[in-house]
Amino acid sequence: MALPKPVLRLLFILTAVLSYLAYDHFSSLMTPSPEAEAAAEAFFTQHYQSNTQGHTNNWAVLVCSSRYWFNYRHMANALGMYRTVKRLGIPDSNIILMLADDAACNTRNRFPGSVYSNKGKLLDLYGENIEVDYRGYEVTVENFIRLLTGRVSPTLPRSKRLLTDDRSNIFLYMTGHGGNEFLKFQDNEEISAFDLADAIEQMWQKKRYNEIFFMIDTCQANTMYSKLYSPNILATGSSKLGENSYSYENDPDLGVAVIDSYTHHVLSYLENVNKSSQLTMQDLFSTYNFHQIRSHAGVRTDLFNRGLDKTLLTDFFGGVAQVEVVDEQVSSGEPSSAQASPKVEPEASRPPKQPRAIQNPQKARPKSTIPSSSDSNPLINQAKGWGALLALSGLFVWSMKRAEV
Amino acid sequence: MLRRIRNNLKGKEPDIASGTVPSQTFEDSYAQRLQRRKVAIGLVTKLLPYIITLLYLVGYVWMIMIPLEDLGNSIWIDENALQPGQATTFWDWNDVHAADLYLADIEALHARNASSLERATFVEQQLAALGLDAAIQPYTFHTNALKRSGTNAYGIYRAPRASGAEAIVISASWMSRTNEGEGTPNLRGVATVLALARYLTKYSLWAKDLVFVINDGYMDGIQAWLNAYHGLEQQNLKTDLLEYSSGVIWTAICIDYPGHSFSHLGFFYEGLNGRLPNQDLMNSAVHIATSTGGTPVVLYDHIETSYQRPPPTWYMPSILSHWLGHYKMRSYIYRLFNVKRYVQYQGLNRASGVHGLFHKFRIDAITLFAVPAYGPHGFHTLGKIAESLLRTMNNLLERLHASFFFYVLTSARTFVKFAGYLASAILIAVAMIFWGLRLWVVAGWERATVVVYIESDMSDEKPKSSERWPNAAPMVAWVPRERPVLSVLSLMGATHVVGYITFLMVKSSWFCHTLEANHLFVAVTLSILLLLTPFMTLFQPIRDIFIPPPNIYANSSTERQAPLYLILKAFNLYISSIVISITSVLNFSLAASLAVLLGLPLALTSPASLRKIPAMWRYLLVVFVSPMGLLGMALWLGVGGGGVQGLTKLFERTIWEWEALGVWFLPFACVVYLPLTLQGMLVCTLPEQ
Repeated sequence: MALPKPVLRLLFILTAVLSYLAYDHFSSLMTPSPEAEAAAEAFFTQHYQSNTQGHTNNWAVLVCSSRYWFNYRHMANALGMYRTVKRLGIPDSNIILMLADDAACNTRNRFPGSVYSNKGKLLDLYGENIEVDYRGYEVTVENFIRLLTGRVSPTLPRSKRLLTDDRSNIFLYMTGHGGNEFLKFQDNEEISAFDLADAIEQMWQKKRYNEIFFMIDTCQANTMYSKLYSPNILATGSSKLGENSYSYENDPDLGVAVIDSYTHHVLSYLENVNKSSQLTMQDLFSTYNFHQIRSHAGVRTDLFNRGLDKTLLTDFFGGVAQVEVVDEQVSSGEPSSAQASPKVEPEASRPPKQPRAIQNPQKARPKSTIPSSSDSNPLINQAKGWGALLALSGLFVWSMKRAEV
Repeated sequence: MLRRIRNNLKGKEPDIASGTVPSQTFEDSYAQRLQRRKVAIGLVTKLLPYIITLLYLVGYVWMIMIPLEDLGNSIWIDENALQPGQATTFWDWNDVHAADLYLADIEALHARNASSLERATFVEQQLAALGLDAAIQPYTFHTNALKRSGTNAYGIYRAPRASGAEAIVISASWMSRTNEGEGTPNLRGVATVLALARYLTKYSLWAKDLVFVINDGYMDGIQAWLNAYHGLEQQNLKTDLLEYSSGVIWTAICIDYPGHSFSHLGFFYEGLNGRLPNQDLMNSAVHIATSTGGTPVVLYDHIETSYQRPPPTWYMPSILSHWLGHYKMRSYIYRLFNVKRYVQYQGLNRASGVHGLFHKFRIDAITLFAVPAYGPHGFHTLGKIAESLLRTMNNLLERLHASFFFYVLTSARTFVKFAGYLASAILIAVAMIFWGLRLWVVAGWERATVVVYIESDMSDEKPKSSERWPNAAPMVAWVPRERPVLSVLSLMGATHVVGYITFLMVKSSWFCHTLEANHLFVAVTLSILLLLTPFMTLFQPIRDIFIPPPNIYANSSTERQAPLYLILKAFNLYISSIVISITSVLNFSLAASLAVLLGLPLALTSPASLRKIPAMWRYLLVVFVSPMGLLGMALWLGVGGGGVQGLTKLFERTIWEWEALGVWFLPFACVVYLPLTLQGMLVCTLPEQ
């Protein structure tokens, strides 16, 4: 089967010409003009250095590494954090929840399908809308490290992946039974502080985060963040070396402890935080006291290059995007964007990678570049079009002649 | 030391240069080493009697010190999953009322002397009415000692949300363990279990099936039920397979509530053949009984206050009475009685309640014993404790394994760890084996006048016979002698055969029937026969067998033989020591009893002819600790109700326990213990040579 040769030739030539025209048209878009570049640069330098920081999306990784009914409180810890970050705006798609056991459906649970974190069973953490991404025996050290570093099987569903980029702020929460520089997973393996530090370093090298807030509630928890060495990490833990972390209270109907002291303290504090809250990390950390937590909760700030009093709690716990006040100077000659009043953008629609990440310049730039390129030299553009038409017809005539021969 | 090494090194230097000097230094060092070794051995040999005495002393003192409060540890709960006393109990007066109603029915059955089938059917109906899989299980034991039959009833509650792979047993035997299952009915215990069945099955939080068992009789019923549950066949037991079955039983509680009310909750935990439940179960029960139940706890039925009363002062000097009145002393005495009870059960390989039969199947079980009193506790307290304890057992994720399996409880809240008591028996065993080894060495040598040939160094040629005489001289020296090991071993084998024959006789139906007919006659005849066996060696014909005829043709060194009794005593001590060491790991009470009974008497045996009356005490000491002597002692003390009847009962029970329950005490006493004492007696009756 073959089309007649002239038709084929004609098609070939047509394609060539069209691709040239397409290239010609779009190349003007792809090579930014110096003015636009300068504008974007100015925008970033001005806003990046200010008290806002450069994250555009928030993620939470919540790990409960211990199983069994008597570790009910660890499930409750992780679920309590899940509820809080969800309430503060991180959507389920950006939360990786790892629960090593299913306390809600344990036969010993007097209240099937529920997990409570307080004595009076006031708040059901399990509720009706919960997405556990890694459950039961899926919660392993290997899976956790793969999750962090992104070295996952191509068949792994997206819901189980940490799809972060270098504009992501990650809240990493771990709870379970631990000791000096380790956290036990599932009663048969443990992750060491070195493993964790190396995994996070790999994340940094692979540009998988902008900033990490690491929180851990376990015995001797502060040893777990002692080995971290990658930049932009703020870490906090429930107890110092050689110290136990204790449970807060137990529910006599369930017959087990329902939450840990430290997590209970943090969650209670976060209950007063809403999406628009201006409370900072410093505010949280200054509530730490031995009397309430019954262990010496610690904070590590040397890897973090922002002031704690300038770091909002919602930078990590909330899915709140930066509130950008865009001046007229930046959006040059574009009245529509100049009028853009400060508005809150939910993070759910995650924009692609930097530098086109921030929405305002993305909107601004195409509009400013297209007119500039068309204004510059209309004659040449017209000549290009005519030239192409001429070449096309010449080629057509030539091919017809060839076909006759 | 350093200097010596340096000297040695210096001494080695000429080694390369010249030949003669180093060889001498080497010889010197060897000689020195030999000399040192000789001195050390000499020292040990010289000190050995003192070492042995010290070992005995430390061993016995240690044993006495086991109940000391300061040596014990307070209990703790090891298993994280248990979470004892954390759950609220919902057992209420409503349930107490239900128990009262059950009790009325059961009392009516008891009052009209209902047959075991009637009783079991009643229980079955009640359990079936609650929606449980309920059935009865008739059984009959045909043993030589006793014939027992009865009917068990049981019901299984299938955990609605679990797979039913595991189960918990809540049981009550029809007979209470008061007086070791003699006659008192456990009516309230049965009522408690029925009321619990009614109450617990309302909840869906069970991770394991609940099996409610009301077994007939005392030990017999639960033995039949457990065998049938686990599909074990027993020759003298006739029963059917169970109609319903559940999963693997992990834990069990047996409820014993014989009185009207109770003041203290007592715990019984010893199982058959020295087995013990994991200590976590005991500790959880103690914790729950005090925290949730609010009742004081005791070990067995030993109420502490009765031991804390100041001792009477009128018959002892004031210092002594003051000393005895000291709180430490009183606490010691209380603990001493607890340990005594423990040794009594465990040493006789007995179970202290029906829970003891569960241990064989690797089920941790204890008996909750409501110590009868006029108050203040009753169904309300017991139900709460049972509920909370079952919630705790329900929390288990794997079998109890974290805490101790070997321990001595000195009170409900204190215990002695394995290492804290084991060494006492071992030290005595070591002393015995040292003593035996010493005898072995002693038996190998003899001080005798011998003719020594002085060999001349002048020539290598053998001197002619005529030239020998001038070189020979008589002198006193240590001469090695032969040790007749083979004849001793055969002698010991014979005593064990005698023991085995005794065992066969005792457990034969003939013995049991004659025992019933004329109680004492048989036992006394057998005892006297056994006691007389060692005296057979006094007869010349038998004596001749053991004393080899003098060998005329043998030369001086092989002619001599160690006396038989020495070797026999040495071997007797070895075997006793080994038996004590081995049993101490499995059953400390038995080992400790053996160490106390055999430790000194066997070490003190030595031949004493009948004419030498003062030396007869050694023989009598062994007779005293022999089974015959101990039985006589039991008769005198009035064990088991006193007199001949008591002795008969003792026999019956021991034989029954071996045949029906598989208690190893009877074979051990006959095949191991009796021969050891017979050997001791033999040592006393053998010729001194």
